[in-house]
Amino acid sequence: MKKKIGVYICHCGGNISDYVDVNKVREAVESEAGVFLSKTTMFACADSNQKDMVTDIKEKQLDGVVVASCSPKLHLLTFRGVTERAGLNKYNYVHANIREQVSWAHSDNKTGATEKAIQIVKAAIAKVRNAESLEPVKVKSTKAVAVVGAGIAGMRAAIELAEAGAEVYLIEREFFVGGRVAQWDDLCVTDETGKELITRLYDEVMKHKHVTLFTGAEIVENKGSVGNFQIKVKVQPRHFKLQCSGNELQKAIDICPVEVPDEFNFNITTRKAIYHNYPSEYPQLPAIDMKSCTRCGKCETVCSAVDFSQKTEVLNLKVGSILLATGFDPYEPPKGEFGYGEINNVVTLPQFKRIIHYNDEKLMYQGKEIKNIAYIYCVGSRQLNGENKYCSRYCCTSTIHTAITAKKKYKGIHNFHFNRGIRTYGKAEVRYDESSRLGDIYLQSFEYDPPVIEQRNGQTFVKIKDLLTANKELEVAADLVVLVTGMVPRKDNSIGNLLKVPKGRDKFFNEIHMKLRPVETVIDGVTIAGAGQGPKNIVESMNSALSAATKSFSLIDSGELALEPTVAEVNEETCEWCGKCDEACPYSAFEKVEKEGKMIAKVIPSVCKGCGMCLPVCSSNSIDLIGLSDKDVESMIDVLIK
Amino acid sequence: MATINPGFSDELKKYGAFDLNACYNCGNCTAVCTLSDEENSFPRKMIRYSVLGLKDEIEVSLDPWLCYYCGECSTTCPREADPGELMMSLRRWLTARYDWTGLSGLLYKSLPASVFAFLLLAVVVIWFGIAQKLNVQAIMHYGHLFEMAAITLVFALILLPNILHMWWLTIYKPGIKAPFTAYVKSLQDLVVHMFTQKRALGCDDNRFRWFEHFVLVLGYLLLLFTTVFLNWFETSNLFVIVLGYVESIIILMVTFDFVRRRIQQDAAISINSHPSDWFFVIWLFLMGLTAFLVRLFIDLNILETNVWLYLVHLIILVQWALLIVPFGKWTHFLYRSFAIYFHRVGELKME
Repeated sequence: MKKKIGVYICHCGGNISDYVDVNKVREAVESEAGVFLSKTTMFACADSNQKDMVTDIKEKQLDGVVVASCSPKLHLLTFRGVTERAGLNKYNYVHANIREQVSWAHSDNKTGATEKAIQIVKAAIAKVRNAESLEPVKVKSTKAVAVVGAGIAGMRAAIELAEAGAEVYLIEREFFVGGRVAQWDDLCVTDETGKELITRLYDEVMKHKHVTLFTGAEIVENKGSVGNFQIKVKVQPRHFKLQCSGNELQKAIDICPVEVPDEFNFNITTRKAIYHNYPSEYPQLPAIDMKSCTRCGKCETVCSAVDFSQKTEVLNLKVGSILLATGFDPYEPPKGEFGYGEINNVVTLPQFKRIIHYNDEKLMYQGKEIKNIAYIYCVGSRQLNGENKYCSRYCCTSTIHTAITAKKKYKGIHNFHFNRGIRTYGKAEVRYDESSRLGDIYLQSFEYDPPVIEQRNGQTFVKIKDLLTANKELEVAADLVVLVTGMVPRKDNSIGNLLKVPKGRDKFFNEIHMKLRPVETVIDGVTIAGAGQGPKNIVESMNSALSAATKSFSLIDSGELALEPTVAEVNEETCEWCGKCDEACPYSAFEKVEKEGKMIAKVIPSVCKGCGMCLPVCSSNSIDLIGLSDKDVESMIDVLIK
Repeated sequence: MATINPGFSDELKKYGAFDLNACYNCGNCTAVCTLSDEENSFPRKMIRYSVLGLKDEIEVSLDPWLCYYCGECSTTCPREADPGELMMSLRRWLTARYDWTGLSGLLYKSLPASVFAFLLLAVVVIWFGIAQKLNVQAIMHYGHLFEMAAITLVFALILLPNILHMWWLTIYKPGIKAPFTAYVKSLQDLVVHMFTQKRALGCDDNRFRWFEHFVLVLGYLLLLFTTVFLNWFETSNLFVIVLGYVESIIILMVTFDFVRRRIQQDAAISINSHPSDWFFVIWLFLMGLTAFLVRLFIDLNILETNVWLYLVHLIILVQWALLIVPFGKWTHFLYRSFAIYFHRVGELKME
């Protein structure tokens, strides 16, 4: 029980004192049990007052402090800092909100407002009376990071972490690195190709002795929490020996009887079960896709490097933090959306990029030469009826860049952009200008009046009521219709489920705070980077990768972590394991342990967030929140209902 | 439903239109235009139609003729797309479209063809002069006959059918049904605008140019009347002689000023000069000059010994009457006023 509580009541320059009689509040609480000092102050948060408070606490040996002012969201941390500077443990500070909850809310009733303020301050005094000093939970952390996804963001983050001194495990599910960027040719606005960027990063990754790259690998199990994740990584074999001659490999590819759609080319071509995406792809060793391989064994007869004896390995790794850079999938339009899957000259933007890659002299598709290209924007993004309300950010720029590429590479190309407002923000605006100067035609409509695809006499027409031509109905005879598809989250969310990383309304991984904490997730120790978090272009992915790498590194660098002590605790005597707390916990913070012959629940402090979800479900009322215990709350309620 | 034709801009470029692709549809040109109103919103609409290649929409439109090229849109255009010159090019394109002979289009699009046609006529006149043994009386006699015949034939065979074609495209084809009285009521507009270009007064900063143009039109028409019907070169009536001098001096002065401006490029309107623009002002200037000199030589009694002067005058006259009047920029005089006439008729259409 505290005996020397200091209470400060803030005028907030009139914000509070115009409606609440702050002197009356002070008089009402000064005789409360344990209150040693009570003051009013013009601005509690002002530097001068903070200094006065430090002096008060030090000189008068205060053991508890209450400030009645604005919302704790504004200044809880400020006044905790004040108590700490005065040498008092910060958990001996309690904040009372008499501005948002009193003066602003009851400006029409000054007497009532003053009464309510008195109650609230008294309740805060009741709580501080029971307050105890708490120390942060210390956790040892392993100086290693698992980076999931060896795309451009993952590789960049891995290099950064290794440079800083962490051990990095770079885990890639595919057999080849590079992710989506490896699939693009020249990029906006420098014309450097995706492959060049990937090659550069791959070389750096391979050079670095602190980065270990696993391909064909996935995290399949996770135990532990921030500082100490114990993960199991399953690594699929490539079924190839390290030495492999190009000649024999080509024979093996030729002889393989299995042909499946090639996802690297967005299914516009096929590949064999033995494959590499393109001749110089990294790692340069080919792989056998065992999902489609029929094990006919023909390849073994022509290529000595084929090795079917290689086995799947499972590795146990210990890391302090996990960085997710799992990327995106391009939106796959359902059959019939703008004729996709029904009309044979309707393709998606990623497919179109690959078509350009494979055509040198003339732009050919399905045996026909392409001259007139219609691009339909915002397919799968900014949906009126669908769930994808977001803008995919990269597609306007990418489309215009691709349209220019096509126009420069082939003769007689006409580009028609059926858009809903062009968003080539930042430096990409120059490409919009360039395409316009090159004679590309832009037609615009609202989302509720999209363009329509029609087929007449074997010719495909795109129709639009063009906003830029006074809503006149116009049509273009298109040789190729390109659906500008945006980004959607990865279809396979196994890693997200495994780590319980929450998703936003857009179904991408969600950060804690969009602006202030953009790369952390509510799962301590798990950071996110790149387009797995939401649509990003390469620049933005790099920014988030470097930021996530820094954040992950800061968790593991000192070898020890200090975590908030305000977590749940279990009364070991009364707890009889029923498991309800474990079901209710969104963070898997409970363990079932044996204690003196019975099974009880135990909280893992480094995982618990102190959210309190477990409290109401506990059948024996054995769980309490440190710093906000039943006793604390009851003492406050007692005051309020008096 | 209109089909986009991306090839049209290439065709239009031959008529002088500059950077069509620069336009990004902001609409500043229309906002700044003092002649554009809600019903006739130009030049933006015409630019958009040109970008999209909507020929059918352009050929039934009178909008290009309702613009008097003050150049304000070109000065204001943030992309320097030169909408004023585009409207001018559309007028050339429409002139070619109305012309049933197809010669307009050929002469507009090809400078070599124009030069060839001018040279050919010069050779014919010289050959004719030699065939007449350079007898100035005989040549002058035929010259006078030519003037009368040219006026009649050019009007009957070229200009009248072309105006009917214009009517067919802009009134009949869009399905505008106007009563006969509408055509009668609108005649006043036709006459006023033909001789005064009254509408151009709606343009800003344009008073002096309008005045010059007005004086030029009067001078030109009066000189035509004086030479053809009062037979200026052969008359001895002092009043007619002085009148002719005054008219030719007016033409000389105004066209000299017009040429000077095109050379100095001192306003948006005179920055871009298509060959047809040069032919028009220079030939008008030469007409005034040679007519003035011929009459002067007659009065000084030295024309007999300087037959070449009359031949030069006749060459200019023939080129003017057979090329510039029926197929060149002169037609704007007719199409512009008829556009306002048809526009007025359209406003009086049956509901």
